[in-house]
Amino acid sequence: MRRSLNITPVPGAAAAEALPRIVAFVEEMAELDDWAPDLVLRSNLILEELILNTLTHGRTSGLSDIEITLESGENSVTITLVDDGTAFDPLNDEPSPDTDLPLQERSIGGLGLHLVRTMAEDLAYKHADGKNHLTLVARAGA
Amino acid sequence: MELAQERDAGTNVISPAGRVDGSNSAEFHESLMAALSGDDNRVILDMGGIDYISSAGLRVLLLLAQHLGGNSTPFAVCSLAASVDEVFRISGFNQIITVFGTLDEAKAQLA
Repeated sequence: MRRSLNITPVPGAAAAEALPRIVAFVEEMAELDDWAPDLVLRSNLILEELILNTLTHGRTSGLSDIEITLESGENSVTITLVDDGTAFDPLNDEPSPDTDLPLQERSIGGLGLHLVRTMAEDLAYKHADGKNHLTLVARAGA
Repeated sequence: MELAQERDAGTNVISPAGRVDGSNSAEFHESLMAALSGDDNRVILDMGGIDYISSAGLRVLLLLAQHLGGNSTPFAVCSLAASVDEVFRISGFNQIITVFGTLDEAKAQLA
């Protein structure tokens, strides 16, 4: 099955206020299509990192809508995100953090997108019609 | 987010339960810091009750580990769910935070 959810940024609201709706959307879809538990967790993680990144890093200029589309596959889900905010390629525009640094030198910057890039498959980004289009696949199992 | 705590001879075992995401990570941070005491000889975070952690939650664990590292207080996490273990490995947190399989192992070996 294929379903969409639209997130509209609320001026002044904390970005994380969007999360409960996203989690509920994923869980509803997961129940209808009987997703494996780890597929639910991965899909939630990928969506949280990408959407909070869009909502919190100054890319909300001109942003009026983020459309999330989920399509169930064989032990997988294809996630499509389209937003009309500032152009940003989450696959290339932010370097991966150095995950080998010692404890006191580590910072958390970039870790969310690093998780997404490592965990998801078949990632593709394009900027077209004034919008960011990102598609990726979350898969169950290791 | 629930958080249980048990102190035994200077070992502070903190056991959170639930999801840690961007909507409750600030509360998670506050609860963890409140659960610490200057008298702790070592701190073990039993993650067995956590099945979901995003980078917002990792940030809190990093701050906690850096805080305890600054005090030279031994710190470890244990009982990671497979999903949390995956996030730890991808982010390299298993290289900066000591991870034990079980709470018993952590109690026996963390020094």
